[in-house]
Parts: sequence; C-alpha cells; structure tokens
Amino acid sequence: MKSKKYIINLAFGITFASVLFVVGCSSSKDVAVAKSGAQLWGENCVRCHNAPSPTAFSDYQWETIGQHMRIRANLTAMETDKIVDFLKMAN
Amino acid sequence: MKRLLKISLLLLVAFFISEAVFAQDDEDFDKEDPVEELAKEVNSLKPGLSRFLMRGYAHAGVEFLQNSATFVGGSFNPIFLWQQSKRLLFESELELELTETGTELGLDYADMSYFLNDYMTIRLGKFLLPFGTFGERLHPRWINRLPSNPLGFTHSGQVGPLSDLGVEIRGAFHMTRSAWINYSIYVVNGPRLNDGGDEPEEGGKLHYNNYIDNNKAKTFGGRIGILPLNNSSLEIGFSGQFGKVGSSDTKYEDVGSQLYALDLSYVTRLDFMKSMLDIKGQWNRVKVDQASYPNPEDAAQSYSFENVSDAYYAQLSIKPAFVDNSFFNKLEFVGRYSKLELPTEAVWGGEDTQITVGINYWLDFRTVIKFAYQTLDSNGTEDGHNSLAQGDAFLVHWSIGF
Ligand code: HEC
Repeated sequence: MKSKKYIINLAFGITFASVLFVVGCSSSKDVAVAKSGAQLWGENCVRCHNAPSPTAFSDYQWETIGQHMRIRANLTAMETDKIVDFLKMAN
Repeated sequence: MKRLLKISLLLLVAFFISEAVFAQDDEDFDKEDPVEELAKEVNSLKPGLSRFLMRGYAHAGVEFLQNSATFVGGSFNPIFLWQQSKRLLFESELELELTETGTELGLDYADMSYFLNDYMTIRLGKFLLPFGTFGERLHPRWINRLPSNPLGFTHSGQVGPLSDLGVEIRGAFHMTRSAWINYSIYVVNGPRLNDGGDEPEEGGKLHYNNYIDNNKAKTFGGRIGILPLNNSSLEIGFSGQFGKVGSSDTKYEDVGSQLYALDLSYVTRLDFMKSMLDIKGQWNRVKVDQASYPNPEDAAQSYSFENVSDAYYAQLSIKPAFVDNSFFNKLEFVGRYSKLELPTEAVWGGEDTQITVGINYWLDFRTVIKFAYQTLDSNGTEDGHNSLAQGDAFLVHWSIGF
C-alpha cells in the first residue's frame, strides 16, 4: 500500500518532468538568443547573491565558475555561455 | 714557401670571416618576429582542459546572548572545483570549524556533475539537496543576509534535508518566450528514523545525516522551479521527497516519510527607492507515518503522536545600492520572521518563533559586516531549538566569499 504511494509519486514526478522537458526544448533556443550576455548576467547573477563584478576573475576562472553556477543556478548551456562570454569581455 | 704562407693566411681569414657571417646568419635565423615570440609565450601559458579552482568563504564574529558574550566563527569553508573537460566538473566543499573541544572538519559536498546536453546534467556523490532553496543556494555565510539561519534550517532541530548521498538529474528549459523552468529529480539514502531505542526522548525524530543507509528502500525527491516573469526576477519552487525511514528488520521497517517544501524568491530593482529589493521565503513540512515509540517517562509504555513538523521563514531586504552617497549605497536593511513547529504531543515537540532584524555594510559584492538583533520566543519542552542563539541576542558577524 505504502510502496504504491511512492511509485505513484515517482511516476508523477518523472512524467511531469519529461513532459515539461519535451515542451521546453522546442522553444528554448529563440528566448535565449534574444537576450544579450550582459542582460542575462544582470538578471540571473543577482538571484541568490550580489552580482559579481566581471573584474573579480580572469577568463579561465570565469569558465570554471560558469560551470559551477550553471549547476547551482540550473542554467541552460546557452545562457551560461553567453554570460561567461560577457564576463570575459568585461573583465 | 712565402706563397704557401700567404695562401694559408688568406684561407684562415676567409674561414674567420665565413664563421662570423654564418654565425650572424644563425643569430638572424633565431631572432623571430617579437609578435610571434609573444604569441608563443602566451600559448605556453594556455591551460589545458584540466582546470583547478579553489574558492570558498569564511566568517567570524561576536554574539551577545542572554547569559554570555562570545567571539564565534573563525571558521572557513574551502571549495575545490576540478573542471576536467567542457562537460565534467567535480565540486567539493569542506567546513573547518572550531568546537568546544577542538577543530572539526566536515564534508559539505563532494560530487561529480556531467553535462548530458544543454538542458540536462547528471550529478553523483554527496550533494546539496534542492529541497527548497535555503540549503542549496542561500546558506553560505556571504550569501545569507543575516548572521543566523532560520529556525529548522540548522543542524539542530532540523526540519527537512540539506544534503545527502545519491544521484540527481537537473537542468532547465524555456517554457514560453518569457517563462522558464528548472527541475531536479534525485534518488538518495534519505533520512533515518530515530526509533527511540537508545534515546527514548528522541523517538520519532528524523536524522538527516544518514551516510550509511539504514534500509534497502531508497528515497526519491525533486524540485520544480518556475520563473514566470520575463526578467527572471521571480521564482517559485515546489519540492517533495518520499521514502521509508525505519531501519530494516525492525517494527519500524515500513514507516515512511513525506517531505514537502515551497520556496519563493523575488529580486528586483525598485527605481523609486534607488534600491534592490530581495524577498526570500521557504516553508518545509515533514510528515512521518504514525508509529509508537518508547515513552521516555515510563520505559515499559509506548506512546504515539501525529508526527508532523513545520519550519518556515520569510525574509525581506532592501539595499539602496543606486543612491549617490557612497556610505548609504553600501548599506542593506533586513528583516526575517521564522517559525518552527514540532509535534506538540512528542516529548521533543514545541513551538519557536524568531524575529531577526539586521543592518549590513557591504565592502564589495562578497564581503559584508552584519549587525543583527534577534528575539526568540520558545514554547516547548526542549528549550530553544536553534543552536545559534538561544533567547534574545545581538549578533555581529563579518563574512567573506572568495
Ligand atoms: C541559484 C542561486 C545562484 C545563482 C542564480 C548564482 N549563484 Fe553564484 N553562487 C551561488 C552559491 C550557493 C555559491 C556558493 C558556492 C557553493 O555553494 O558551492 C555561489 C558562488 C559564486 C561565486 C564564488 C566562486 C564559486 O564558484 O564558488 C561566484 C564568482 C559566483 N557565484 C558567480 C555567479 C555568477 C556569475 C552568476 C550568474 C550566472 C551566479 N553566480 C548565479 C548561488 C548562485
């Protein structure tokens, strides 16, 4: 009885996530394309902490931090790349 | 004879001249274009695909509590990042902390992430759980706007998990032109139920640091975060985690748990106040299936209660970052209301309410001095579930992110 509840919960979760995933992929590209790296930085890098100054790190450091934040903040690859390119240009 | 001498002399001269000329040629050959030379040097400094970065954060401070005033902290959390390729990152965080008896070393997380595609990442190891946002995103000392954690979000009196061992799939994608979603689903060891066998006064509590699982059943969980606004200023998250918590081969084997969290974040620029507004909140509910535990007052008896705990907080901060005055634009004003509700019928039950107000002074984006006044209204058998400050307190901390 109990395990049935978990299976239902799990099945619900997975179905929900995969539906959203499929729906999402189809429209992902054009939105990210529309925004510049600077804008994405201004909108996303303040959501948890103060927006870090581009001059705080070198190009190579930004690449690693970009990967770290892509995981922490659940960003797509395109958004991360645009933000990192902006930070590398502005530092 | 004289002629021979003349010829030899001539040959000798010719030899030296040619030597000199060739040597010159060799030198000319070695001397490259300075730009090319510089390019070569820069190229030699180019790191490969393996990168290592060490960051982290630290804090210290002084706390004036009801009966004591004490310097605290002197702790630091190094973060190690190994970027192995464009797809693979290993992240780990240690915590070095002073305790009453010495120095303690903790492992906050150690996990490997592999980017499966643009919208999906797999994580393996010990990671911060996306159960709400406080544990995963807001707890680092330079990120937390106040010197203390909300009630129920610390290791003592904890309601809801902060980290665990397992596998996770996470990522993000755009739903419409303005709204986007991030998701995470995971399988972990899950919390362990204290059945009160050894500590009757703890019967029915969940312990979250369950590094060697106490049962075969795994715990499933996940979070969906929705960012409905075009400028990503608002995020609403729903989390759930489900699994059995009792130890195998005991009568608690089938006791399950259902954990839920709701979180909110709103960060925006208030032009009329030349300020940044930051609102954060989270509500955790932990429900454990009904079971009976040894009665601490009478070991021969057992007792049972509705095992539901709640912990929630709401925090608002305003930072006049865009005013011209260079003192005021570094200030930040914060207020937080936080509440912990443990099952009233349990011996470890009770209700705590905490109100914290604070003023921060930011030296730069990652260095802050925090002043806070905190009141605690405790109404339970166990006095003050918050480890940091029991009763009313005045806290001064500085924190730095690296
Ligand atoms: C979802 C919350 C969140 C968002 C959004 C976010 N960060 Fe972070 N950031 C963190 C946390 C949490 C840490 C502390 C490190 C940890 O916990 O591992 C951190 C740490 C950092 C650090 C310190 C170095 C490091 O890697 O630990 C830098 C720099 C940083 N973030 C930059 C950024 C940038 C640039 C962005 C925008 C792309 C960003 N952050 C967006 C949560 C976030």
